[in-house]
Amino acid sequence: MARVKDMNTGESSATGAARADDSWVPTVCLGCYNCCGIKVHRIKGRVVEVAGDPQSPNSEGHICAKGKARFLDLYHPGRVLRPLRRRNPQKGIGVDPRWEEISWDEALATVTAKLRAVLDEDPRGLVIAHFDLPGYGISKAFGTAFGTPNFHWNRADYCGAAPHVANLLLNGSFNGEIDLDLCNYVVLWGTQLGHLAETIPLHSAHKMADARARGARLVVIDPFCSNASAKADEWVPIRPGTDGALALAMLRVMLVDLGRYDVEFLKKHTNGPYLIGPAGEYLRDSESGKPLVWDAAGGHARAFDAPQVQAIALEGSYVVQGVQATTAFQMLMAHLESVSIEEMAAITTVPAASIRRLAEEFSSAARIGATVQVDGHALPYRPAAIHFKRGSGAHRGGFHTMVAIHLLNLMVGNLDVPGGQRGVNPVGPFWEVEKDADGMLVPSAVITKYNKPYPPREPAVPTTFDLQGLFPAGLFTRGMYPWAIAEPGRFGIPYRPRVLLHGRTNLMMNSHSAQAMAEALGRFEFQVSFADGIDETVEFADIVLPDAHDYERWDLFPANDPYAFITPGPGDWFWLMRQPVVQAPEAARPWTEVYIELAARLGILERFNEIGNETWGIAPEHRLDPAQRHSVREIAERQAKTIVGEKFSAERLRESACFITRAKTLAEAYPRPFLDARIPVYFEHLVRTGRSMKALATRLGLDWDLSPYTPLPRFFACEALEERGEYDLFIVNFKLPFQNHSVSAENLYIDEISTANPYAYRVMLNCRTAERKGIQDGDRVRIESRYGSETGTVRVTELIHPECIGIPGMFGHWAAGRPVSARKGAAFNNLLPAPNSRRIDVISGQIDSCVRVKLIRLQGAVR
Amino acid sequence: MSRYAMVIDLSRCNGCNACVVACKVEHNLPPGVLLTAILEKESGQYPDANRIFYPVLCNHCDNPPCVPVCPTRATYRRDDGIVLIDWDRCVGCGACILACPYDQRSYVKDDRTAYPGGSEYRHPALDKAPAGVPVKCDFCYHRVDAGREPACVETCPTGSRIFGTVAGGERPLDALIARNAARRLLPEMGTEPNVYYV
Repeated sequence: MARVKDMNTGESSATGAARADDSWVPTVCLGCYNCCGIKVHRIKGRVVEVAGDPQSPNSEGHICAKGKARFLDLYHPGRVLRPLRRRNPQKGIGVDPRWEEISWDEALATVTAKLRAVLDEDPRGLVIAHFDLPGYGISKAFGTAFGTPNFHWNRADYCGAAPHVANLLLNGSFNGEIDLDLCNYVVLWGTQLGHLAETIPLHSAHKMADARARGARLVVIDPFCSNASAKADEWVPIRPGTDGALALAMLRVMLVDLGRYDVEFLKKHTNGPYLIGPAGEYLRDSESGKPLVWDAAGGHARAFDAPQVQAIALEGSYVVQGVQATTAFQMLMAHLESVSIEEMAAITTVPAASIRRLAEEFSSAARIGATVQVDGHALPYRPAAIHFKRGSGAHRGGFHTMVAIHLLNLMVGNLDVPGGQRGVNPVGPFWEVEKDADGMLVPSAVITKYNKPYPPREPAVPTTFDLQGLFPAGLFTRGMYPWAIAEPGRFGIPYRPRVLLHGRTNLMMNSHSAQAMAEALGRFEFQVSFADGIDETVEFADIVLPDAHDYERWDLFPANDPYAFITPGPGDWFWLMRQPVVQAPEAARPWTEVYIELAARLGILERFNEIGNETWGIAPEHRLDPAQRHSVREIAERQAKTIVGEKFSAERLRESACFITRAKTLAEAYPRPFLDARIPVYFEHLVRTGRSMKALATRLGLDWDLSPYTPLPRFFACEALEERGEYDLFIVNFKLPFQNHSVSAENLYIDEISTANPYAYRVMLNCRTAERKGIQDGDRVRIESRYGSETGTVRVTELIHPECIGIPGMFGHWAAGRPVSARKGAAFNNLLPAPNSRRIDVISGQIDSCVRVKLIRLQGAVR
Repeated sequence: MSRYAMVIDLSRCNGCNACVVACKVEHNLPPGVLLTAILEKESGQYPDANRIFYPVLCNHCDNPPCVPVCPTRATYRRDDGIVLIDWDRCVGCGACILACPYDQRSYVKDDRTAYPGGSEYRHPALDKAPAGVPVKCDFCYHRVDAGREPACVETCPTGSRIFGTVAGGERPLDALIARNAARRLLPEMGTEPNVYYV
C-alpha cells in the first residue's frame, strides 16, 4: 500500500492533457430498468468507476452491486465493434454463424433493402424486439411510421402482465409500492421490494431498512427464503401458484369472519354500492344509463352520482326495476362465504391458523378509521400494506390472484393514502386519472404506456402478433409473440412475419424453452440484431450491427419514466437525462441513431418525426421540423425543455443528470382522498367482455378456457398443480440482488460474487426432500420437465418449500460470446413450454411459470 | 487515543453485495481476491428457517496479531488505528495470513485485472497490489485521509456500515456501540478489533 498514488497527484494527472480528461460525468444507470442517477468517472477516455449521484432522489449517492460493476462490460473482449454478416445459412442452437466483418454502408444497404421489400408488400411483416426502455419512444415511432403494429416484442409478459393490470385498475398506475415512511405492517407477496431486486431499488432499500429499524413488521410470502425473506419477521412458504387461494382465504377471514373493512372507503371510492342485476351486470338508470345505487334514506335506487342520494347502501339486496338487485360488495361477501379456509390451507400448504392470524394482524395493523395530519389536512392513515409482483402473478389465474391480493389492500382502505400501498404516480404534473360515465377510474395514457385494461376494448380477430384483440381487458400481451409468429393463421392474422429488428433482449433465454424459441426465430426470413456482444439470440442474426453501451449514448428524456421510476409519495418531481460518458469504440453506434438513419433511408423520416412529435410529448414551441433529421440528443433536449423548461441547461448537466422541477402537491403524493373516480371490488366489465370473447373464440375455433371472465376473484389452478405422477416437484425462480435478468451474468465482478454465493449457481432442494431422494449437497442432477431439461448442482437447504426446486436468476448461458457465464448455474426458463392455451392467463396475457419436474441424479458432485 | 472504527448494523444488511463490488473497484482487485465479503449462514429448520448475512473485513485490531509476526515490518499500525501493508517491504512470506485469526488476508497470486483475452481495467489513480503480496481491507485510508468515507460505506444502499472514530466513549460511534451493546469477533483473542456488530 506504499505504492498508493495520491488521488490528486496520481499518474492520471501526470500531464496537462490527462488532467483535462479526469472527470465525473453524471448520467443514468441502465444496469436494470430502474434508471438510478449515477456519476461515472472517466480518466483518459476510459471509465474507471461509478458512484451514485447524491443529487438524484432515486439513488441518494448510493449504488448497487450491478451498477457498481457495470463499467467492466465496456471492456469485455467479446464486444462487437464492426458490423457482421452471417456466412452460414444454417441457424440453430450451437451452430456457428461464421461471421464476417462488413462495412456500415454495406450492412445498412442490405438491411434497408430487406426492410423495403417488407414495406412494399405488407409492413406488418416487420417485428421489432428489444427491452431497452428509454428506446421505446424511438422504436414505437419507427414502427408506426413504417406501418407495423409489432414493435414491442420482449419478455415483459413473463414479468408483470397480470400485476400491472391490478395496479392500473385499483391504483390508476402501472406499478405499485408501499409508503415505507409510515407503514407498520409490510407484506411482500412473491416479490422483494426494498431488497435491491425491484422498483426504485436504492431508495426503497434504505426506506425498508429504516421501516424495520423503527419496528415495522415484515412478512414475506414466497416458496423460497429470499433475501427479503431473510430480513422478514415472518417467512411464509407457500406452494407455488396457490397465492390466489391464500388471498381469497384471507379476504374471507377479514370480511366474513372478522367483519373488518373500511366502510367509508368502500362507499366513497369503490363500486361496492353499485347494484348488480340477475345478469351479473350493473343495473342502470333508465334515463341516464348510469349504474344505480340504493339510497337507504329514501328507500329507492338512484344513479350513483345523483345529488339526492343521502345514505348510500354498501350491503343488501333490493327489488329494483322488478328484479332482485344486490350491491356489488354484497355479491363479494356472498362469494367469500363459500370459501373454506381449511380447503385453501390444503391447497396452499399455509396452515389455517396462520391464514387467520395473518388476516387478523394485517387488518388490525391497518387501523381502519384512523387519520393523520399531513400539511394541515386530515388524511386516512392505514399503516399496513401488501405489495405483489411476478412471483405471485405469473400463473394461469394471474389476473384473479393479483386482484384478490390487491382487494386485501382495498378492503382496509389503504390505497394511495399515508402508510398504505400506493401506485407509482397515478397523477402528476402533466397527467391525471380520468373517470368514465360509470364513475370508474380510467388510468392516464401517460402512465398506462400501452392499451388500457379499463375500459375494456371490444374483442377482435387479432391483427398483431401480441394477439391484443384476444385480450380486451389486458395491458400488454407480449408473451404471445412467439405463439402468433409460429402460427399466425391459427389466430386469423392475415400476414406472416418476415424481418426481425432485434436488440438488447435475449429472447432465447428469457421466455421459455430455447428449442421452441429457436423455432419462432426460424420463421423470420431475416434477422438484424443490434448487439454489444454475441449472446444466444444474436447468434441467430443475419446481420449484427455493433451497438453502443448506454454509457456511450444519449437517450430520450426523461430516462426515468414516471410510470415506474419516479419515487412515489411525497418528495420532488425529478427527471433524469442520460448522456454519454465516453465515445462508442470503433464502429459501434447507438441503435436508436441507426433507427433514425434507417427511417431516412426508407423515406419515412418525415412520418417518423410527425409521430415522434406526438409520441415524445414535445411542446408545440419545441416541435421538430418533420422534414429534418434530428439526433436523439436533439429530440431529448426538446423533451427536456418541454418538461423542465428553463431549468434545463448544459451547465446543470455537468453537475448532475437530475433535474428537479418542484415538490409534489399533497394530492400528487397521496392521491386517493382527492380522487372521485371509483375503483372496482366487482369486476363487472369482465361479464360483458367475457360474453363477446366467448363468441369470438367460437368463431376462431380457439379451445381457450374463458371461465376467468367472471366478475369476482376466484382461484384458478395452474396446469402444474393438477398434474400428478413422476414429475413430483415444482420449480421456482427468484431474483438475486446482485444479478439482473440474463444480462449481468457475464460481468467478472458479478460472476465472482455469484460464485462465492451459496445459492446463485446452485439449484435448491429442501433437506427432507433431498434425504427422501438420497441426494446430497453438491450432487449433480438433471432437472426434467415435460418441456425441457437442465443440469444443476444441488444445494441442500432448509430455505425452500419441500415440494420445490429453486432455480435463481437467469443462468446457464451457452453462446460462444458469453465465456464468463457459460454453463454456470441453470436456466429456469428452459423448462417452460412455449405459450399454449392451458398455460396463459386469458385476461391479462400473463404466462404461467408453474412447471413440474423430476430430478435425476447424475455422476459427479461438487463438494 | 482516537482511532478509526466501523459499526455494521446486521439488521440492515440484506446481502446485496454492493459493498463487495465497491471494494473490488476501489482496490483494483484481481478475480478471486476480496477484502470484504458477506458471509451467509442458515439457521433453524423449515419452515422456521432463516438466513443471516454477515459482512466481514479486516478488524483493524488494537493488538493486531499480523503486525508482530511480520519479519520485514511491512505490516504496521498507524497512529489512527488503520493497519496497513507496505508492499515495498513485503517479501510475501505469508506469516501474517496465518496469524490473522479472522482469515481476512489474501495472497495475490495473479494480479491481472482483465477478462481472458481482454485489456486491463484499472483505476489509474488508485492503488493496485502486485502479485506476490498479501492484501486486506485498508479502511480505504486514501479516502479517509481525504475526508471521505470508505467505498463500502458510501455505496451501501441500506446504510448498514457506519464509519467513524472511537475514543474511549467520547465519540458518537462510541455511544452507538454502547447503546447497542455492540459485539466484536473473537473477543477472547485479546485482539481488540475496531469492527463492531450491532
